[in-house]
Amino acid sequence: MATHKLQKNGALKGLRAEEKRLGYLFASPWLIGLFILGAFPILFSLYLSFTNYDMLSTPTFIGITNYRILLTNDSLFYKSLWNTLYHVIISVPLGIVVGVALALLLNSKIKGMGIYRTIYYLPNVVSVVAMSLLWLWLFQPSFGIVNSILDPIYDLFNMEPLQWYQSADMSKMTLIIMGLWTAGGSMIIYLAQMQDIPKELYEAADIDGANGLQKIFKITLPLMTPSIFFNFIMGLIGGFQVFTTSYIMTQGGPANSTYYYSYYLFDKMMSDTQMGMASAMAWILLVITLIITMFALRFNKFVFYLGDQS
Amino acid sequence: MKKLLLVGLALVTVFALTACGGGEGDDKIQIEFWHLSPVGDESYSDVKQIIRDFNESQDTYYVNGTGFSFWDYWDKLSVAVASNTAPDVGFSTIDDNVHRADRGVLYNISDFIAADEADSIETMDTAVFYTNQLDFLTYDGDLWGLPFTATTRMLYYNLDHFAEVGLTEDDVPTTWAELEEVAKQLDMVDGDDIERIGFDPTYGQGTYMGYLWQAGLDFFDDNQQVTLNTQEHADILEWMVTFNEEYTRSQLNSFGEANTILGIDPFAAGRVSMMIATDGLYQTLLDYDSSMNFGVAPIPLPDEDGTRVNWGSGFSLELYTNGRTEVDEKAQGAWEFTKYLMSKDVQVDYADAVGWLMGNKEAMAVVAEGNPIITALVEECEYAVDKVFIPYAPAWHASDWFQYYDELKAGNLSVEDTLQNAIDWYNEKQDNYNATQ
Repeated sequence: MATHKLQKNGALKGLRAEEKRLGYLFASPWLIGLFILGAFPILFSLYLSFTNYDMLSTPTFIGITNYRILLTNDSLFYKSLWNTLYHVIISVPLGIVVGVALALLLNSKIKGMGIYRTIYYLPNVVSVVAMSLLWLWLFQPSFGIVNSILDPIYDLFNMEPLQWYQSADMSKMTLIIMGLWTAGGSMIIYLAQMQDIPKELYEAADIDGANGLQKIFKITLPLMTPSIFFNFIMGLIGGFQVFTTSYIMTQGGPANSTYYYSYYLFDKMMSDTQMGMASAMAWILLVITLIITMFALRFNKFVFYLGDQS
Repeated sequence: MKKLLLVGLALVTVFALTACGGGEGDDKIQIEFWHLSPVGDESYSDVKQIIRDFNESQDTYYVNGTGFSFWDYWDKLSVAVASNTAPDVGFSTIDDNVHRADRGVLYNISDFIAADEADSIETMDTAVFYTNQLDFLTYDGDLWGLPFTATTRMLYYNLDHFAEVGLTEDDVPTTWAELEEVAKQLDMVDGDDIERIGFDPTYGQGTYMGYLWQAGLDFFDDNQQVTLNTQEHADILEWMVTFNEEYTRSQLNSFGEANTILGIDPFAAGRVSMMIATDGLYQTLLDYDSSMNFGVAPIPLPDEDGTRVNWGSGFSLELYTNGRTEVDEKAQGAWEFTKYLMSKDVQVDYADAVGWLMGNKEAMAVVAEGNPIITALVEECEYAVDKVFIPYAPAWHASDWFQYYDELKAGNLSVEDTLQNAIDWYNEKQDNYNATQ
């Protein structure tokens, strides 16, 4: 009996080692790319972050001066960081809610569902530049269609029309709302997982007399947590890199209210030609993103992996 | 069928390999030239022809021209210069040429001219270029670039609008007081909506620094210290933002925003009767095939002691060392090509190709012949001055200033707070810059 168990353990170990080898083999194209093409620029940027480098002359080592300046004497650093955090805190959960809601709606079995799914996914294939210009029109406070639609509500509550991206108070929210237009991207992932949920679970729930909402909250959503978790982590990482919409729509304004961290980093490099400082900003952002992502990974314990259970 | 496919594939391979083989001018010294007329651009063929003409005249050098779009060019160039892979000769901006000269990434143009003179070779006569531009390209007593193009800013006025209210070309304003008087006659309002604005100092290329210069003031002193703290500075900014104070900020913002979103120049669209703009607006009007009856005049001056000056920049032609310390045969070839590009006839051809004002005054005399608008623009280039390069705030006139200026225009900051915030910001940038040097 003991011998059999040992043999079984040995076989398992062999299988795991084989699995590991295969894993590395399949990941090798990416790993080779990372080490050869990625590792050098990454490490070089770390070195640059400790230098004064204007992209014309040789970098000169200045120790932690760039980090010290950014953390203690740069008013825009914290402003841009706060703008970015605000964006992440609001846009990531909101994006998940809208994406899941869309997926739930588009999981119904009605005629022409393929067309609906395509329509909701379509914004993801539109260029960000075109999308931003389109939303500039829609959100234009004086003649944009959004305020035209909201006009009766403004009248009802006797309020001034919202100034959207022209107001420092509303600008970040405007860009977040605009970002929801592309929620169809995550919706596809939710939808795929939703369709993977075993039908027997719903049949059992039907037999137990569960209603639609109960099925959503007790079966669908718990079994969708892996994809929600995936989108949450990816959303966090992507959220910290927000740049394009602000660059095109608001140029960081008004009053720097949409001047995001990556935008400031870009300006440090391209406008101020302070590559060393920009590199330091990149490393600070990496550390912030790492810490927050590691913290977010703790939510993994709430994720329900169907495969593990079976 | 299979055989046919195989033969087809073999032929394609042969053609592809042939294409990879020796190129034109392989037996000559290859010179790389970067310009702003990419494939697909209207000017591409003409610029290619200009390069071809040089190559055909040459036994020694062969120029490979590469065109990039304006929006891609600057990032590509700055990365290329940083990595010593810049072209042998290319365009850059005149105002920050001194910075590149200081950092040793450029060949000294004065040395080339001196070498030509020593060898009794026909060289370049810099007297045909604008003195203001040459000043900006001079560092430590030597020239480090050449003024390939020139730009200027003037007051464009719509004579059709003038005629509607009984004004003529004689009424074109020359002072700020006259400007206000004429502009108000040209305004058109329908209820709450502005339909047309006579003039707004903040529209088009009306810049705070430009108005300051006209009044003998500036953003920075000779020691590059910010000087926005005088009452005169505040008065001029106040004048700019209160010029159309009879309209609400919301009305003005909507009107301005509509111009931006429409993507049409407000003057070309007939929404503004008078506007400060670069020579590029003339080209825009030509492109629109506009039937508008318009003219250009020097920007009106302050009512007392005004200086005739406008913000003019341009592209410099620079020779990049890419880490080389000596003038080698490629650098010499780049210089020969530079002399060719800066010569009168080629500058005329280039102006025809791209519609720019060129740095060679003799060439522009030819281009302007019989054209009163270009003649006026060329004349105004004599009064054009570039913005100074501030190492601690290279974008001092743009993002550094706009963050407060836009807030002022939106009515969220007072003139005093705008200036104070800007002063604090420039000082902070200077402190931080100094700490890294």
